[in-house]
Amino acid sequence: MHKNKDVEERDNLVELTIDGQKILTHPGMSVLEAALANDIDIPRLCYHPDLSVSGGCRLCIVNVEGYSNPTPSCGLSCENGMIIETQNTGLSQIRREIIDLFISEHPLDCVTCDKSGACLLQKYAYDFGIGKTSHEFEVSKPLYQDDNPFFIRDHQYCILCGRCVRVCDEVVGASAIDFSGRGFEAYIATPFDDPLLDTTCVFCGNCVQVCPTAALMPVSRRGNGREWELDRVKTICGYCGVGCQIEYAIKDGEILYAQSQPDAPVNGEFLCTKGRYGWDFVTDPERLTKPMVRRDLAYKLGLTSEPWELPEKSPLKIRKPKIDDSFVPVDWDTALNLVAGNLAKTVKEYGPDSIMGLASARCTNEENYLFQKFIRLGIGTNNLDHCARL
Amino acid sequence: MNFNTLLDIGQKELARQKKYQRRIFCCTSTACLSAGAGQVHTTLDQAVAACKCDEYEAEVVKTGCMGLCSDGPLVRVEEQEKDPILYGNINPDLAQHIVSRHVPLGELEEDTDSEEQDQSVTPHDIIHYRASLRRAQTKKDLDNNIISLDLPFFTKQVKVVLNETGRINPDKLEDYLAHGGYKALAHVLDKMTPEEVCNEILESDLRGRGGAGFPTGLKWNYVRQESAENKFVIVNGDEGDPGAYMDRTVMEDDPHRVLEGMMICAYAVGASYGYLYIRGEYPIAVDRIRKAIRAARQRKILGNSVLEKNFSFDADVRIGAGAFVCGEETALIHSVEGKRGMPRMRPPYPSKSGLWDAPTVINNVETMANVPSIINKGAEWYASIGTEKSKGTKVFALAGQLRNTGLIEVPMGITLREIVYDIGGGIPGDREFKAAQTGGPSGGCIPAEYLDSPVDYESLTKLGSIMGSGGLVIIDDSTNMPDFANFFMDFCVDESCGKCIPCRVGTVQIRKLLDKINAGEGKPEDLEKLDKLCQLVKKTSLCGLGQSAPNPVLSTMKYFQNEYDSLIQPSQTFEGGAS
Amino acid sequence: MTIQNSNDEQTHPSGDERYSSIDRTMKQFEYEKDSLLEVLNAAQEVFGYLSRDLLIYISNQLNVPMSQVFGVATFYHMFTFEPQGEHNCIICKGTACHVKGADRIIEALSEEFSIAAGETTSDGLFSLTIARCLGSCGLAPVIVLDGQVYGKETPEAASMRAVEAVSRSKEKIAQSMEVG
Repeated sequence: MHKNKDVEERDNLVELTIDGQKILTHPGMSVLEAALANDIDIPRLCYHPDLSVSGGCRLCIVNVEGYSNPTPSCGLSCENGMIIETQNTGLSQIRREIIDLFISEHPLDCVTCDKSGACLLQKYAYDFGIGKTSHEFEVSKPLYQDDNPFFIRDHQYCILCGRCVRVCDEVVGASAIDFSGRGFEAYIATPFDDPLLDTTCVFCGNCVQVCPTAALMPVSRRGNGREWELDRVKTICGYCGVGCQIEYAIKDGEILYAQSQPDAPVNGEFLCTKGRYGWDFVTDPERLTKPMVRRDLAYKLGLTSEPWELPEKSPLKIRKPKIDDSFVPVDWDTALNLVAGNLAKTVKEYGPDSIMGLASARCTNEENYLFQKFIRLGIGTNNLDHCARL
Repeated sequence: MNFNTLLDIGQKELARQKKYQRRIFCCTSTACLSAGAGQVHTTLDQAVAACKCDEYEAEVVKTGCMGLCSDGPLVRVEEQEKDPILYGNINPDLAQHIVSRHVPLGELEEDTDSEEQDQSVTPHDIIHYRASLRRAQTKKDLDNNIISLDLPFFTKQVKVVLNETGRINPDKLEDYLAHGGYKALAHVLDKMTPEEVCNEILESDLRGRGGAGFPTGLKWNYVRQESAENKFVIVNGDEGDPGAYMDRTVMEDDPHRVLEGMMICAYAVGASYGYLYIRGEYPIAVDRIRKAIRAARQRKILGNSVLEKNFSFDADVRIGAGAFVCGEETALIHSVEGKRGMPRMRPPYPSKSGLWDAPTVINNVETMANVPSIINKGAEWYASIGTEKSKGTKVFALAGQLRNTGLIEVPMGITLREIVYDIGGGIPGDREFKAAQTGGPSGGCIPAEYLDSPVDYESLTKLGSIMGSGGLVIIDDSTNMPDFANFFMDFCVDESCGKCIPCRVGTVQIRKLLDKINAGEGKPEDLEKLDKLCQLVKKTSLCGLGQSAPNPVLSTMKYFQNEYDSLIQPSQTFEGGAS
Repeated sequence: MTIQNSNDEQTHPSGDERYSSIDRTMKQFEYEKDSLLEVLNAAQEVFGYLSRDLLIYISNQLNVPMSQVFGVATFYHMFTFEPQGEHNCIICKGTACHVKGADRIIEALSEEFSIAAGETTSDGLFSLTIARCLGSCGLAPVIVLDGQVYGKETPEAASMRAVEAVSRSKEKIAQSMEVG
């Protein structure tokens, strides 16, 4: 919504001036949104385009003609004739002093911090030229919570922007965390400080995604590379038919973490736990890379010289069954010929209705379309279903 | 039930009261109760019963604050054709003396059972015996407890909000009716349109008594002009300033006045439901307001077709749970909605989008309590009291190092000197006046050189303080100002909600600096830092708590710079601290 | 899992009668989510503190996420999460009391019982609480020990009173242990 610069309806629009630029926008928009939509950057920490407005970080303050004090632009509705100034020495000074307060309780561990390069607090400290706090340093909540395999909560870096609470509440609907306590003692907590595994958390990692600092970091991330050393690869999640876009951060061929970009068409920045954390199969050495034929059949067809042997223990009881024991890799032609031949034979001998097709949510819509065409027209049966119905 | 019926009830009650030869009023407001007024009241009841006098000789009346809380428990005796007498510092013993001094003893009834008469010793006998023995002593003893009602403490006050406080029984609707209660509501429903009511309040120039001083009529008009299916009225009874108990007193001792004001407001703006948000630390106020609501519902003053007119309104109490920040309008709204009491950015103001996003009027208890008098006596009368920009009266909780402390109501524009020396009776002992602190943790200190300043919104703001809700603490030269400022900063640190960085962290850093300075470890640049940080917190905090938290520091730095300086330079030591 | 008791009068599975009082409050407010603060107020009054089970129960009944119930409960200072001590001493820290030396009383009691304000002794016999203002400024400094108000108090007197009260409890416990 905020990215759409094209204004279709010319009625009920408001015109205001931001930094000398005349801007036309919808009356419901905030000054911050209108500015961002017109490539005017205003510093902000707690604002997120997909979440409700908070107004706690005070960085997005702007000067409004006629107002005695600088006003946060995230909560200011656009009105006709408003004259806004987003940058000047006075505002920069105030923003510098605000950052000063932030870093009076936030350890500046940027040298070894994994978030370095992607941290918004670091960015604004750099932008406003403040590298050291002028106040007495005191971390309000030196709490480190490492209670689940997915992400770490390190409260000493938390700036209480509340994005994680809002995303869990408004986007995910799990409401696993909330502000607890009050004032300087306030922190983001699970009920009774229970481990996340005992709460309604679904481990979607969207809180990690929207966190502007190193307070929430994926476990897989830690100590494994700097932001600027990582390659980014965009792909589509293979788990379900929604087809969310994922961007993997990769170092030396290994996936470090998964995130998504705000401009992703289906899902924006948000993923579910499968897309966010279920990628370890990608580089698993046991992942299938070639078609395979069952060893007993392959031996019969002469594709291998080693026959299948009855295992002493049931395969279900073997912790990591060796694929080699039961399957033989073949080339695509061999595999396809075998499948086609057997299918044709079965249809000929028992009729088309002896075959059933089971489609998969891990296929794309196009693949599933082809698959059902194949079953209905190729095989000639309506025995067709989909794994989602199970 | 229409108003004529209520008028009848009131008149009957007034007639009943006038039958009594004497009425003994006992204050049962929180301050006096803490000093033992509960037992005093019980003793008075028992002693009068024991006198076995004729039916209309004496009545003990449970009433509210009589103002001079420093001399509580207070008991006032009003006898026909005599001047009222006020007794202070009463304990159960002295209560008995009061009864024996004023209440005649009735005839002893002969007991039919002679055996029982020998064995039993009735309380009557005891009183009779004691009374005859002590009549000589009583006169002298009790004389020491008499407080002259001609003291400037009383004569300099002008009662509007506290008109019935200390004169009626707060638990009896009939008593309120007997003193003209709900007449304003009836008049408004009968003879005025909502617009006319708003204009009357606008013309009276009544300003919010919670501290902000926003014109009440203007606020009401904003809400009246909103078109919405639902509108609400909220009475803000979250009086969190330490040392302020004006609202508590009005809620405890004249609950119906608050209800009446609230209902007039509801009619004026088009609201059909209201809430009285009372802080959890005021259980007696909660109890009395609830009782008043029940009584009003019973008499069909609250509910569908109020006073048989085309207006429906009901109200309920919502209790706070220990958060000063919930006195802020938007935080209060969130609290009523069952959430953490965190403020939000304004605009939109509650008059446009408030409780459950509906247009809402939020007014302080004292503001609401002014309304019935304004309707009854007219905007012109109200505007004739006070100064040009600050009309009417203000209730103050006068506390600190003064001879007379307690609850006072004075016309706007009275000077600080009159309050401190005439009403307050001056500083006890051989100490000197040092400063008057107004506005609690959001306000500032006013030094001696400004004692002749009028007490009104503009003058106080100009002096670097605020009117605030009415807490007025007088401090003498034994108080250390940097330490005093730190006390208020400590309070703000505790009460900050934590949403915005300037208040959450800024107040902690200000307190650190003050701790350092008070410990004698401050450097000259720390004073500059302190000032800069105070300005930042004042300018960038999200709500009024943070915006006004630095006021005590800034104001003490302005007027008592030397004390700060002396702590910085270790060669000059300053003697003092909390006495 | 929600266990809405809107129509039937079931007792809480624990059998604790106090839960019926909470149920009545929730019913009075028609189990609206907005009534959370009122329900917590009632619960604090009836139970004396908000236990884990109690909060979970309220969360289920009102259908408010547990994180929010916890967030609201920890925001307001009148809610406690542990049982108060047998003896409770509240010290007023209002402006008038501060100016008249409330800090020294707090220090004296803290030292005597080795606890900070807001804490309870490990034997559960004594709690020290701060109130921001009790509104009895004419009697400053004010303390409230076991519901009894003491005005114009000194650190020595306060200490003595508290120690006496706790000693009496200790004696009772010692006696009951001898008998039992």
